[in-house]
Amino acid sequence: MEKEFIKETLHTITLNITAGKIDSFREVEKTTGTVRVYENGCIGVAGCLGEPDEDELTEQAKEALSFGIPYPCRLDGAEERIELHDDEIIPVSELIPTMRAFLERLGEQCPKMAFSNKINLIYKKTEYHNSMGRHLLSSGRHLSIELLAQNRGSGNLFDTFFLWAGEHFDPDEVLAYFREQYDAFYVPADIEPGRWPVVTEPGNLFGTFLQHFVGDLYIAGASLVSGKLGEKVFHEKLTFCDDMDPGTSFETCFFDAEGCTAKNDKPVLVENGVLTGLLTTKKTSEEYGLPVFGSADAPYDGVPGIGFHSFWLEETARTLKELVPGKAVYVIIASGGDMTPDGHFAAPVQMAYLMENGRIVGRLPEISVSGSFFDLLGKDYLGTVHDCPFKKSQLTAVMMDVKKAGGGSNV
Amino acid sequence: MIQFRNGFYADVRVEDRCRAVISYKAGTLEEMRSRRELQAFLRVYDGKLWYYASVTDVGHLQKTLDGLYAAAEENPDILEDPIVRRFEKNRDVLLSFEDHPVRNVPLSEKQALLLGYLPVLTEDPCVTMPVGMYLDRSSRYHFMSSLGADIEYDYQTCGLSFNFSMAEGEKKFQGFWQKGATRFDELAGVEDELRAAVKEQAEFMRNSVPVEAGQYPVVLSPQAAGVFAHESFGHKSESDFMLSDASMKDEWQIGKNVGSPILSIAEYGGIPGSGFVPYDDEGTKARKNYLIKNGVLAGRLHSAMTAAALDEELTGNARAVDCNFEPIVRMTTTYIEGGDLDFDELIAPIKKGYFIKTINHGSGMSTFTIAPSVAYEISDGKLGRPVQISVITGSVFETLGLIDGLTKDVELLSFVTGGCGKMEQVNLPVGFGGPYVRVSSMNVQ
Repeated sequence: MEKEFIKETLHTITLNITAGKIDSFREVEKTTGTVRVYENGCIGVAGCLGEPDEDELTEQAKEALSFGIPYPCRLDGAEERIELHDDEIIPVSELIPTMRAFLERLGEQCPKMAFSNKINLIYKKTEYHNSMGRHLLSSGRHLSIELLAQNRGSGNLFDTFFLWAGEHFDPDEVLAYFREQYDAFYVPADIEPGRWPVVTEPGNLFGTFLQHFVGDLYIAGASLVSGKLGEKVFHEKLTFCDDMDPGTSFETCFFDAEGCTAKNDKPVLVENGVLTGLLTTKKTSEEYGLPVFGSADAPYDGVPGIGFHSFWLEETARTLKELVPGKAVYVIIASGGDMTPDGHFAAPVQMAYLMENGRIVGRLPEISVSGSFFDLLGKDYLGTVHDCPFKKSQLTAVMMDVKKAGGGSNV
Repeated sequence: MIQFRNGFYADVRVEDRCRAVISYKAGTLEEMRSRRELQAFLRVYDGKLWYYASVTDVGHLQKTLDGLYAAAEENPDILEDPIVRRFEKNRDVLLSFEDHPVRNVPLSEKQALLLGYLPVLTEDPCVTMPVGMYLDRSSRYHFMSSLGADIEYDYQTCGLSFNFSMAEGEKKFQGFWQKGATRFDELAGVEDELRAAVKEQAEFMRNSVPVEAGQYPVVLSPQAAGVFAHESFGHKSESDFMLSDASMKDEWQIGKNVGSPILSIAEYGGIPGSGFVPYDDEGTKARKNYLIKNGVLAGRLHSAMTAAALDEELTGNARAVDCNFEPIVRMTTTYIEGGDLDFDELIAPIKKGYFIKTINHGSGMSTFTIAPSVAYEISDGKLGRPVQISVITGSVFETLGLIDGLTKDVELLSFVTGGCGKMEQVNLPVGFGGPYVRVSSMNVQ
């Protein structure tokens, strides 16, 4: 009988912000434990909330073998790797005074806006070991400032987001980044309807497309890329990975729920336009004869399933100006987009800035954007920049049809 | 026994939650588990700040509570605080599911139920990857506060959820059907409903045509109408969004005309189903609240904090997704009230328009968006061909004013997957629904 053990600890300190002021402090430390055992082609899983007792969980997992859940035993072999990114960002005791001072300065520099929502300090540690001698330990931490901004008097629930996340908090840098958006928010801008470069975080676009990279759908023939593994179907410049490097992707660890690791900690779905991978678990990989992708996810007491952690697209330009010289639409909020079965994608854009030569210059009215799956990842894919607008972030650009919200012809 | 201290407000919420999940993919068992989690969330308020903690070790609640007291400052006037003064002091035991607890149904019985339905999914050869799930949740809550509130109540849902990838030549479709209930025995005997849903979606895949984008009259099914009510107006009624900007109260004055005179949207946690919240997570008893009544803004949803800030009454809408989070203002069951038409009368005047039968998802701010799944043309007052629509969108307030027809019958829906998301707290179970709703013009893409 083979065995895997996983222990995960998540420590979060959260401040709630209302009207630009802190009104609550929440500290949660949550530990979970998992044991999976494999015997006669089946898996047995047991999990617990709180400090795990490995022997007790092992006994429970053995009992769960009786459910007869088929799962191949393909544990990865011996490897010892420890990646710790857990040096302190701000001491917990200093979080409230530090953020009070930050929010006060933010309120002074952005007086026409009211801010709410959360500031989080997050520490996560995950340990994996198995009966084949594999031992992996990964930890990461980050500070995230996630503020909803209401333009005072707008009557809206919120008008835009001010978001920042990082491992080193420099209030001047964050305030300057927020100030640039604040200034642009109050400059009315316009753009002619038509085809324009649209700049956005990769997840806003690729999040909708991701289902078509799932191994199950691929094999079922229900994916738009079914039958195309190994073929060049997208733009030469497009290399698209799951970022599992805790040094570049917050809240991830370098191995997946089955203890798999990938080259550069970035399992690849598309490389230079070629479909090279599909989202699989060890089970679906064996069932369908597909490569193990290495980004499986699992509840602490459940069988591994398909997972994806963080979008990473290969850098194709050093600056936004180089990527999109001239005018572009920079999408901040695009909630509610979807794609028809034949790949037509459309999304309303609730908040966007006009960008010129890589800098945001004004706020656009509500628009909608659209395009087709193969074009957006193919001939209409323009590229990606890294560390923009702040370190470890990414922005990607595609050509899209831009229309006024409501379907009219003028923006 | 919890010992509360004078000079602070405090409450403790304990949840004993049992969940079962069984899943089959292409006829093979994928998952079968039964989970029991015991967690607690504790709050201490000193009139300036709230201090929260979440624990899994519920045997030592006093120690955690004492830690929160140590971080807070004693306030001899805490009972006069406007938030504290609003808290209800209910004492009740309300166990609605004690005579049919789904947690006591053996896992093997749940598995047998699910297995009985799986053959229906593969009756049509176009189904290439059938996935069937059984899910249930049974929770027992105990809420205690320093003001003397002491409430025990329960919550229960169970259901079946089916996803089926369909493909035929170049045509593809992701099919879906779900049945939610509050009693296990309500899940028996639904083969014909499932069969009809698979058949309709297979026909949709084979015969649907791309929509001609533009502005059209649209008829929303109870599912689409419920999501529209939830997304377009329900979230706007959550009054925590009003606290940051004082001008919001002027903008959202009760009595303001916000929609068609035939439109009423109500919200009530006492309705059995996934949005059942007989007491909210601050111990407030559920009550029916109108958000819009006859087109006029009639109310909004509150926690004690927002009710105090806006000087309004509690509504029973302080909810947390689980004991990892504090309660915030959330919906329970939100629905549009019925009108006076039947379905044929509703679509009869439409020369060219669309009927949205099922949806994939919806969202909304000043503009709302619904992504339809199965939709049909309406031509000369009759349902026509199936059509592929990626999204329908519109300005929330314009659309509320363009509602010009409602059927008599109202359908309320409960789901056992997904749920409502609000910032960090996602997948909160809610109920929603309404009649069939006709909107004279919407943007269809």
